[in-house]
Amino acid sequence: MTISNRMVQAENIIWRRIGDDIVIIKDDGLATHVLNKTAAYIWELCDGKRGIDEITASLCERYDVSPEEARADARETIENLTKAGIIKYI
Amino acid sequence: MSGNDAYGRFTVAPVNTQEDARPAVWTMKNVINLRIGNVCCSLICRDAEDWRKLEKIKRLYHGFLTQESGTVTVELAGTDRLSPEELNAALSNNEFFHQENVFRSTSQVVDGQYDLTRGYIKITGERNLINPDIEGNHLNMLISLAYYTACKMKFNGRPPAMIVHSCGILRSGQALLFTGPSEAGKTTIARLCGKKNGEIINDEMLLISRPRYDGEGFTVESGPFLGKYPSRRSLKAPLRCIFQLKQGSKTGIRRVDRSEAYLKFMRQIITPAYVGQKDKRSVLLLMSEFSDEVTRTVPVYELEFNLDANSLWRTVGELQK
Repeated sequence: MTISNRMVQAENIIWRRIGDDIVIIKDDGLATHVLNKTAAYIWELCDGKRGIDEITASLCERYDVSPEEARADARETIENLTKAGIIKYI
Repeated sequence: MSGNDAYGRFTVAPVNTQEDARPAVWTMKNVINLRIGNVCCSLICRDAEDWRKLEKIKRLYHGFLTQESGTVTVELAGTDRLSPEELNAALSNNEFFHQENVFRSTSQVVDGQYDLTRGYIKITGERNLINPDIEGNHLNMLISLAYYTACKMKFNGRPPAMIVHSCGILRSGQALLFTGPSEAGKTTIARLCGKKNGEIINDEMLLISRPRYDGEGFTVESGPFLGKYPSRRSLKAPLRCIFQLKQGSKTGIRRVDRSEAYLKFMRQIITPAYVGQKDKRSVLLLMSEFSDEVTRTVPVYELEFNLDANSLWRTVGELQK
């Protein structure tokens, strides 16, 4: 089995935009995560079509940030979201 | 002759099992019809021992009795195997599992069968499940189940009101909602209310209704829920604001940000699952949607309070202005 570097939102969650945040609840009803504006933006880009390169490019387009800094932030956020089980690699 | 006697006798077609193949005849003695928000539910007990408990429940719920028969009928059949303490212990880690129109519990203290096309639920369980005198709120859970099942039938599963674990106080024609888990202080708020600071709507559970038309806000309504200060009167009032309770050494108030308000309020909604519901995800979605709607339009505060009633109601009163 090959694993691409594209990410997709997990299926076992429900989420809702609350103000600028995205609030994610695992569908066991127990674990919750609140993503701030930037983390929410990265989360929304995890649509199964993008990997770290495309997400970094989107961050650079939207924010005044260097490619190196954007890549580091994207990597860290994706790592945290993956650890939390709310996105996964496809 | 009391007003209720005018109902006479009527029949209910039970679930078509071997045991219940013939239609049962029920008398008013063993039936109560309850109004819960926009729906009606009937409770029926087969055994004389249970009727006596039903009589007591009838007195406690007298503000919610109705002549209208229920969208949902719950028939209760009692067993007497466990003490109240044993029952609470058995239910503390209980889970239900379903197979077709039958449900069973891992604790084996309650099981039942249902027919949603007829709005009929038969529950066989410990008599103490409907005993209003024991701790545990089992009766409230039963009423909640009947309510959400009736909403499934009448409103296609989208309840116009949700049941929320909260204490409601009526002040100056507005309802103030105090929410929090068990031990957060809902009953303490009710006690500190006394008679001069407002009217207790209920200190345990309330119905929070969505606006019915443009311009109307959310409303708070009492229901047949038992608390330490049971509401025997049917009351409805506009929801002014929500206080998420925090016991402390002083009285203070702060506006809660949207995400925190949404998450904490959602946790106080009594799970809107109808009997036989297997899809937990759609239940969570209902709760999420409702919590978002409420906390988007109603101000939510964290209320830190101690036992000083004067400072509590002064603080609340200033906010209400």
